[in-house]
Amino acid sequence: MTSLPEAAGAVTAVRRKRRFPIQGTDLILVGLAVASTIALTITTGGNLLQPATTRAVLQFLAVPIVIGLAQMVVLAVGQMNLSVGVLTGLSAIISAALMVDGGVTPWLAVPAAVAVGVVAGLINGLLVVATRINGFIVTLATMTVIAGLRYGVNGTGTYQGYSDGLVDFGGSSVAGLPVVFIAAVLVAVAVAFYFRRTLSGRHLLASGGNPVAARLTGISNDKSIVVAHTVSGLLAGVAGVLVLMLSGSVNTSIGDDLLLPSFAAPIIGGVALVGGAVSVLGTCLAAYLVRLVYVAQAQYNINPRWVDLVVGAVVLGAVLVSQSRQGKETS
Amino acid sequence: MRLRATGLVKTFPGVRALDGVALALEPGSVHALLGENGAGKSTLIKILTGVHPADTGTIEVVSDGSDDWHAVSITSPQDAAAAGIGVVHQERNLVPAFSVAENIALQELPHRRGLVDRAAMRQLAADCLAQLDVDLDLDTPVAQLSVAHMQLVEIAKALATKSRIVLLDEPTSTLTPEEADRLYRVVAMLKQQGCSIVLVSHKLEEVFAVSDTVTVLRDGRSVCEGRPLSELDRSAVVDLMVGREFAELSPENMRPPVDPSATPALELAGIATAGGHRDISLAVRPGEIVGLYGLVGAGRSELARAILGLDAITAGTLKVSGTQVKISSVGDALHRYGIGYVTENRKEEGVFLEQTVSRNVAVTIWKKLARWGVIRDRSEVEVLDEYVDRLGIRISGPQQLAGQLSGGNQQKISLAKWLAADCTVLVIDEPTVGIDVRTKAAFHSLIVELAERGMAILLITSDLPEMVTLADRIVVMHHYRITGEVANGTHQYDEASKQIVRLMHGESAA
Repeated sequence: MTSLPEAAGAVTAVRRKRRFPIQGTDLILVGLAVASTIALTITTGGNLLQPATTRAVLQFLAVPIVIGLAQMVVLAVGQMNLSVGVLTGLSAIISAALMVDGGVTPWLAVPAAVAVGVVAGLINGLLVVATRINGFIVTLATMTVIAGLRYGVNGTGTYQGYSDGLVDFGGSSVAGLPVVFIAAVLVAVAVAFYFRRTLSGRHLLASGGNPVAARLTGISNDKSIVVAHTVSGLLAGVAGVLVLMLSGSVNTSIGDDLLLPSFAAPIIGGVALVGGAVSVLGTCLAAYLVRLVYVAQAQYNINPRWVDLVVGAVVLGAVLVSQSRQGKETS
Repeated sequence: MRLRATGLVKTFPGVRALDGVALALEPGSVHALLGENGAGKSTLIKILTGVHPADTGTIEVVSDGSDDWHAVSITSPQDAAAAGIGVVHQERNLVPAFSVAENIALQELPHRRGLVDRAAMRQLAADCLAQLDVDLDLDTPVAQLSVAHMQLVEIAKALATKSRIVLLDEPTSTLTPEEADRLYRVVAMLKQQGCSIVLVSHKLEEVFAVSDTVTVLRDGRSVCEGRPLSELDRSAVVDLMVGREFAELSPENMRPPVDPSATPALELAGIATAGGHRDISLAVRPGEIVGLYGLVGAGRSELARAILGLDAITAGTLKVSGTQVKISSVGDALHRYGIGYVTENRKEEGVFLEQTVSRNVAVTIWKKLARWGVIRDRSEVEVLDEYVDRLGIRISGPQQLAGQLSGGNQQKISLAKWLAADCTVLVIDEPTVGIDVRTKAAFHSLIVELAERGMAILLITSDLPEMVTLADRIVVMHHYRITGEVANGTHQYDEASKQIVRLMHGESAA
């Protein structure tokens, strides 16, 4: 691959190899996504391609994508965030409460939902850094606290009709694509840009990839952890807004079923659990694949219990595959 | 740039790692930093690179052609980089998923308004690689590079911060001879460009081939400060490294010689292992202490692990008390053959920190203590009491957690459990790393006493004085092979140490 030129003072050309844009896990996922879409289309007699079905599939893909990215951001620094699901619920319900009980306009209530996520994420990060307790345990605790807060806002009651404008906008489409799906894709592009191009994003990946090297090069690992949890909280807040836009009513149970999907998307998407490497495309594709499992369940009238079993098994399989691959690389 | 450091002192709890060290570096020269294990080289490097700040002492620099010395304070890696000091540590310090270019530029990633300026980053990396005359693809993730290439990336990384002083810590320990040659060509190029290179290496032939001056550390002091290497020959350097004075700790070790015709308690003949050992033959007789000496990485602990059944033995015979055996696990070694293993790494392997001291001591004989599979606390406490007295272990009670004890007492607990097991062979790996002098002396008398009672002891230690004090014979390993054996019946440090150091560096004994 390289050689030392004989002539002294030879200048290395600043050359850039062209690479196929999609590789490795992403390529497999693209193949899987295409294959399962075709299979599902054929076996359901083309039902999947009905405009209404496609719309529904894409609409309900928005939250899993964003929540998967929220988990991916903390995985990047080798952390975990168990509170993303309930935090999505808390953001949605506080925002709804502001609109219904407080008469606040959506123009303020929507940023408030995001702010709730940011604050909670910041607290997660600061707790991890200040206590030096494993992030898994810290967020397990904050998950429970947030679940309690979520209940405290309105008990078991349901908020409805908080903003017709917001819900109408959430149900609308641009160029045949649901607005919420477009929003999720924009978020994904922003996250990809953040990790690829910004100094802050590169620092997170350096901290996750080799904390000792990062420290010796002057990168604060503590700062990386706090930033990662804060961004994760921000994305959970965004997911909360998408929930508000998608459904006309929110209650205490919002977000309970998001924990497994939040891990499923990045893990199946090939994100390293030990940190240091992310894949936004992989996470989005994996979120789509997981979504297809739910679609198949609805199309074939399968008992919903099987869905969790399938998704759980696939996650376990993905972890095993990536582990055996890492083993090969290091040996 | 020139640098001079004077009066550097660094103490860690219980250890004075550096005790007034001086170092002077000239531009355009390669300066070797030598010393035995634990002499303070790593500590000195860590001070110069801001990993550990010095307790006292000054570091001054002056730019080329000027005479305006000014003191610099180096308390963080960034301070060191700002002062123009770059380092290639022994362990790799690269981010595996990042490209060559990004790793080189990582210390100060070029950026504009929060965005990484990739063009500037690649240009900086390309310039640094060109300065080394190395051709590497800038976009390859470093995880895909060979160790030798990673090292070149680390040197380029040091240049990226405009380092005029480059510290190389054991750079060739994991390289093939060809790769080492190329590395030294790069070093020569840096020297030509007026950089000052500090080379830490155990390989004396390399040191003599590439270095101009030398500083030798011993026991945290510089015993030779920046002398031209041309004034010295190898044996003079070895003398400096090993030293002459050796009086402090020597327990009575005047045991009568062991009958050489006795059946060895442990005998290895032509052993090869999956780990890479070849042709290992050695014997330990009852009542004998045989030392296993060598550089870190020579394969000593790995040999111990193979004897204990933790790594596979692929050829040769292993005999315990004259009978050929095949040991498949540590349990097998202990319960069937009476071989105990006091590990080097007591925190991770030797002691259950979260368990009570009584459990820790009794763990090896639970089978013996158990009645119908149940172990009574009282029977454990009885065992503990015996060894607390004999070893002088300081505990508040049998229920104290092992993790609350001092390092020395933890080590005693770790030893006690093997004594309780009543072994015939004991493999002891680095018994006194990180414990204070007094406990060390107590340990030494204990090991001698065990041998007097007829136990066969295979001792692994990197502490040369300790080795000479304790061992009856010293087997020297180099690159997973035995390079020779030194008789040590007289325990005279002067003569034994020189022979050992020569063997250790792969030479035949003089």
